[in-house]
Amino acid sequence: MISTLNRLALTLATLATLGLVAAIYLGSRNLGNFDPALVAYLFACIFACFGVVYRYSVWLQRPPTWRYFARGWQLFFSGRAIVYGWEFVKNFFVNFLGQRFIQKRGRDLGRGHLLMAWGCILAFGVTFPLVFGWIHFGLKPGGIDTYEIYTFGFKTMEFPLHTWIATLIFNALNWSAFLVIAGVMLLIRRRLTHAGQIAVQTFEGDWLPLLLLLAISLTGLGISLDYKFMDGKAHQFMAITHAITVILFLVWMPFGKFFHIIQRPAQLGIAIYRKAGEEGPQAVCPHTGQAFTSQLQVGDLKDVTTQLGFDFRRSDGGSHLDYSPQGKRALLATAHLKARQKAGSYFG
Amino acid sequence: MSTSFRTDQEFFLDPQRCIGCHACEMACAECETNGQLPMIHVDYVDRFLSPQTSVQICMHCEDPVCARVCPAVAIEKDEFGIVHSANTARCIACSNCVNACPFGVPRKIEPMDLMMKCNMCYDRTSAGKKPMCATVCPSGALFYGTREEMARRRPNSSPVNTFKFGRETVKTKVNIMMPKGETELVVYE
Amino acid sequence: MATLPVPVENLIARFGPHLNFPRAEGIPGRDEPDAVVKTHCCFCGMQCGIKLLVKDDKVVGFEPWEEFPFNEGRLCPKGVQRYMQNEHPDRLLTPLIRVGGKGFEKIGWDGAMERVVSEIQRIQNAHGPDAFAMLSGVSLTNEKSYLVGKFARVALKTRNLDYNGRLCMVSAGAGNKKAFGLDRGSNNYSDLAHAEVVMICGTNVSETFPTLTHWIWQARDNGGKLIVVDPRLTPIARTADLHLPIRPGRDSALYGAILHQLIKHDWLDHAFIANHTTDFEKAKEAVKDYDLAWAERTTGIAADKIELAARWWGPAKTSFLLHARGIEHQSKGVENVLGCINLVLATGRIGKPYCGYATITGQGNGQGGREHGHKCDQLPGNRDIENPEHRKYIAGVWGIEEKDLPGKGLTAYEIMEAAHRGEIKGLLSICFNPVVSLPNNNMIREALEKLEFYVAIDFFLNETARHADIILPGSLHEEEEGTVTTAEGRVVRIRKAVNPPSEARSDTSILLELADRLGAGERFSFHSSEEIFNELRVASKGGTADYFGITYKKIEDTMGVFWPCPSEDHPGTPRLWEDRKFKTPDGRAHFHGVPYREPAEVTDSEYPVILTTGRVVSQYLSGTQTRRIGKLVKQYAEPLLEIHPALAARLDIHERELVRVSTRRGTAEFPAQLVETIREDTVFVPYHWPGRKSVNQLTSGHLDPISKIPEFKVCACRLEPTGRKAPSPDEAQAWASP
Repeated sequence: MISTLNRLALTLATLATLGLVAAIYLGSRNLGNFDPALVAYLFACIFACFGVVYRYSVWLQRPPTWRYFARGWQLFFSGRAIVYGWEFVKNFFVNFLGQRFIQKRGRDLGRGHLLMAWGCILAFGVTFPLVFGWIHFGLKPGGIDTYEIYTFGFKTMEFPLHTWIATLIFNALNWSAFLVIAGVMLLIRRRLTHAGQIAVQTFEGDWLPLLLLLAISLTGLGISLDYKFMDGKAHQFMAITHAITVILFLVWMPFGKFFHIIQRPAQLGIAIYRKAGEEGPQAVCPHTGQAFTSQLQVGDLKDVTTQLGFDFRRSDGGSHLDYSPQGKRALLATAHLKARQKAGSYFG
Repeated sequence: MSTSFRTDQEFFLDPQRCIGCHACEMACAECETNGQLPMIHVDYVDRFLSPQTSVQICMHCEDPVCARVCPAVAIEKDEFGIVHSANTARCIACSNCVNACPFGVPRKIEPMDLMMKCNMCYDRTSAGKKPMCATVCPSGALFYGTREEMARRRPNSSPVNTFKFGRETVKTKVNIMMPKGETELVVYE
Repeated sequence: MATLPVPVENLIARFGPHLNFPRAEGIPGRDEPDAVVKTHCCFCGMQCGIKLLVKDDKVVGFEPWEEFPFNEGRLCPKGVQRYMQNEHPDRLLTPLIRVGGKGFEKIGWDGAMERVVSEIQRIQNAHGPDAFAMLSGVSLTNEKSYLVGKFARVALKTRNLDYNGRLCMVSAGAGNKKAFGLDRGSNNYSDLAHAEVVMICGTNVSETFPTLTHWIWQARDNGGKLIVVDPRLTPIARTADLHLPIRPGRDSALYGAILHQLIKHDWLDHAFIANHTTDFEKAKEAVKDYDLAWAERTTGIAADKIELAARWWGPAKTSFLLHARGIEHQSKGVENVLGCINLVLATGRIGKPYCGYATITGQGNGQGGREHGHKCDQLPGNRDIENPEHRKYIAGVWGIEEKDLPGKGLTAYEIMEAAHRGEIKGLLSICFNPVVSLPNNNMIREALEKLEFYVAIDFFLNETARHADIILPGSLHEEEEGTVTTAEGRVVRIRKAVNPPSEARSDTSILLELADRLGAGERFSFHSSEEIFNELRVASKGGTADYFGITYKKIEDTMGVFWPCPSEDHPGTPRLWEDRKFKTPDGRAHFHGVPYREPAEVTDSEYPVILTTGRVVSQYLSGTQTRRIGKLVKQYAEPLLEIHPALAARLDIHERELVRVSTRRGTAEFPAQLVETIREDTVFVPYHWPGRKSVNQLTSGHLDPISKIPEFKVCACRLEPTGRKAPSPDEAQAWASP
C-alpha cells in the first residue's frame, strides 16, 4: 500500500496537514476559542487537507502539468511581474469571480454555476474559520445588545443586535444556502432537459455533486428553521444530518468533482502563459503559412511529448508539432491522396 | 452513460471521397452535445491548386496524445474507446491537446475557455444510432457500419487504423480506407 | 406602377434577407417532438427523403430518413439546414399592399383579393386576356403545378403562362422529346452502380446534386470509369478518371467528335441502330469532318483526351451518361443534348440494366413540374397545347370548350421582354424570382417597373416581389400536402408538417379563391391536395407522362412510384425503354444531325474572356430561401470570380482584389479567387446573389431557338483590376446586396 503511494506527495501532504494543525492550534489561541461541538468537522477538514494536497502534488508531477506550473512561476518572477500580475488580476476578476467563461457556455449553466459558486465561497469563508476556531463571537461585556467578533483572538468588529447588519451576519450561512439552492435548481433543470447533457452525464460526476450541495444547503437551512419555528425540537436530527452531508463533502473533496475548485486557479497561470506566448515569437505553420500558437508552447509541447514517450520528429529535421492543426489535417489528406495515387485508383 | 452503444459498428473515413460540401459539418453542429458548434473539420488542402478537401473527425486513438498532454487530466477515454470532449470542470483551456493531436482534431472554443472535440456523436451512438456526419455524408467519405458491410461495399479497399508519423506509430479506433492490402498510412517518413 | 415603393435598403431592413441561425443552447422540444414527419427536402431535384421534427406547430429540426431508397439518410448542407427556413423572421405573415413612399403596408385578405381581381379584369378588358401574364416555378408540387396551369388557362384565360423551368431543363426536355418522344431520365440512379463508364457532362454533381455522388462512387467502386466534361476542375472532376476541361459553349463539338471516333472505330451497335432508330445517317453526315485535330481546336481539349473518352465510351458493355445545365443553358442547348443522345443511341446502351441516360433535373419538382402544364406550350400529361386531340381531351377534363382553351404563349424571358415593350401590362407570379435568376436582369427590372399591376404570391419578399403592388403570403414546402416527381421520375409524397403561420395561407387556397373570384369557381371545387392529384391523374391519362395509376396510398406504401404508371395495378417504370418501344410517332429513337455552331456571343478584342456561371453547394437558385439561412450563407458568403493565375497575372489581378467585370449588358465587381482549377480563357461567377452582386446583370439573353432557354453558361466579358482589396464577406453582405 505504502509503496504505491507517491513519496513526494505523501511528504507534502503530511507537512501541509501538520501546518494546518499548527495553524489551528495557534489561531484558536491554544484551542481556547475552539468550539468542541465542531470537532467532527475539524477532523474532516484535516483529512480533506491531507487528501487535497496529496492529490494536488501527484497532479503537479505529471509532465505537462509540471511544465505549466514551473513556467508560471518562472514567468511571474521574470521581471515582468507587473504585466503578468495585471493579467492575473484581470483574469481573477473576470473569469474566476465573474466566471465569464462559464456564462459563455450557456445561460442557465452560467447563472446556476455563479450562484452556486458564490454560495460556496461565502459558506467556506464562514465555516472554515469557525471550525478552526479562528473566529468566534461574543456579547460585549457589560451589555446585552452589542456583539463582538474576534479573529485569531483579536477583536475585529462589533455590531449592535437587532439590526440589519446583525441579521446579515448571523444568517450568513443561510444566505449561502439560498444561493446554492437556486443555483443547483437551475443546473438540475438543465440536466433534466438538455438532450446533450443527458447523453454524456454520469451520476458520480454530474448528479452526485449537485445532490450533495443541495443536501448540505437544505439541512443547514433546516437547523435555522428548526430553531426559529420548532423551538429546536429537531435540532439533534438536523445537526447530525447536516454534519454528515458536510463531512461527506469534505472527505470526497480530494477525489471527486469538487477537486476542480482546487484545480481551477491553474487557469490563471494559463492566462499568464498565454500572455507571455503572445509577446514572444509565434509558431508559423509550414503548410498554411499562418501563425497558430506561440513558439513557447510548441517548444514546451515538444519536450513534454518526448517526456511522455512520443516521437513526432520528421526525417527533414522538423517536427509534426511544427504544423498547425489545419496543417496536420492537410498532411494526412495529402499522404492519403499519394497512397491512393500510387495504387492507381481513388476508389474500390 | 451508455447502454446501447453498438460495438459491432465502426467508423470508416475516406478523404478522397470528400466533395467538400460541408453537410457533415452542418449536421455535426446539430448534435446536442455540441451546442451548434461543429466538431468535424473540412478544409481545402490548397484551394489554389485543387478543390481537394481534408475531412477529419476524431480518430479516437488507443493511446490518445491529447489526453496525455492534458495538464488537467480533463480528457478521458471510455470503455468503448471513445475519447470524450474535455471535462468541462477541469479543462483550463491551455490548448496543449489542440496543438499536440497528430490529427489536428480538438478545438479550443475561445470564449468558453474550453476544449471540445468530436465524441463520435455520443448522444446518438450511445443510443444505438449512427453519428450525424456519417449518416448525412453524401459521398461516403464518412461511413459508419459493420466491417462486413464495408467489405461488401468496398471490395477493393482495406480499412487501416495504423498511422506512421515518422518513428511514432498511432493506432486508432477509427479506420481510414486505403488501397487493398495496405496495413498502414505513412503520414510522413 | 411597379417601381420600388421606397429605397431598396429600407425594404431589405424590413423584409430581409436576414440570417437565421439555430439557438446555441438547443431548440426546446427537439428531443421530444410532437411529430416526426417523413417528407422530402425542399431544394433540388434529388428530393432526398428527410424527417422533420415538429413541436408546437413549428419545425424544430430534422432527422435523417435512412429507409428512403434514393438517399438512405444522406443529405447536403442545404438539406441539413432547411429546417431553418421555418420560423424565420422574414416570413410574410399578412397580405401587403404597395404604398408609394411608405413601403408595404398590411391589408386584409378580402381587400387584397378584391384589388387583384379588379386589376386583372381592368387590364384584360382594356388590352385583351393575354396582356395579363403569369409566371410560376417548379419548387411547387405536382398538384400546385397542375393547378397553376389550369388556373392560368381556365380562370385567368391567358396564354402567357410560363415557369422557371425555362431556366432549368427545357433544353433537355426538348431534346428528349425529339429523340425518344418522352421527357424523363431513362433510368433511375441505381443503374449507375455497375456502369462501366459514367460520363457526366456540364454538371457539377458534387455541388449541385451532392447526394447523387454516392451512386457515381458506387460505379467506381465496382471498377467503373468516370469521365467529367466541365470547364472547371470541380470536386467530382478532381478524382475523375478523365477530366475534359471544355471551353464553354463548345459542347456539341465534343459529342460530335466522339461520335466521329465511334464511327471511325466501328464502336457501334448496328443491330440496335437498324432496328430501333432512325436518321443515323444524318448524325453521321453531320460529324464526318469532326476529327480530333478539329475537335481540339474547337473545344480546347487535348486530342488524346477526346480520343481516350471515345475509346472508353465506345466498346463499353454498360454505361451511363448524365448531363445538366452546363450543356443545356446554351443557345444550342437542345443540340448539345441531342449530341449526347446520339452517343447513347450509337452504342445501343439504353433500356438495359446499367445502361442509362438522363438529364439531372435541377429544381425540386423540375421533373413533375414540367409535365403538367404550367409551361407555355404544354397541357397536363406532357401534352402539346397545339395538338387538337390533346386540347380536346384536356378541355373535356376541365369541363370547358376546346375553343376557350388558350393556345401557346410566350416563354419566361419573352414574357419579360413583352412587358418591357409594354405589351404585357399585368403579372401574377408565384415561386419565381426572375430579378435574380433571369439573365440580363437590368432589363428584367425595367420590365417590372413598366407593369401596370403586379401581384406576387410568396413566403418571403424576394427581390422580384419587391416590385409588386400586392403581395399574398403563401406557404412553405412543409405547410402543404402534395407530391413531387424526382429527377429519376419517382413520384414521392410531400407532407404537411405545420400550418402556415399567422395570416399566411396555403398557395392552393389562394389560387382557388382567386379562381372563384374570377368567376371560374365551379371548375376549381377542390377540397384537398389529393383531390387535385386525382384530377391530375385523369388529365395525364394517356399522355406520355401518365400518372393515372399512381395514388397517394400507393406512393406511401412503396416510398415512390416511377411514371409512366398507366393503371392502378401497374408497378411503375423505373427503367424506360426495356421494350424498345419509344414514344415517337414511329416508335423508334431518333438520331439527329448536330452540326456544330458557335455560341451566340464569342470573345473579341473588346470582350476577350469567356464568362460562365453556376452554383455553389450551400446556395440554391435565386437564394430566396438559402440566402436567409445563416450557416449556409457563412459557408460561401459572396460570389467570387474564379480566375486562372496565368490570366490573372496577365491582367495584373491579385487574390481578393475587386475585379470589374463588364459585358455588353452591364458591369459588376467581384473579389478575385485565383485557382488553377479553371481554364485560362474562362472566368466563373456563381449566380445566387441579388442586386449589385448579381452576375446575371452580365449574362446574355440569347435563347435557344427551340427550348428558349437563355445562354447563361457563355458570354464574353472584359476584366479590369480595380486596385481595391475586397472588403470582408461580413462587411460586403452580398446575401442582401441592394
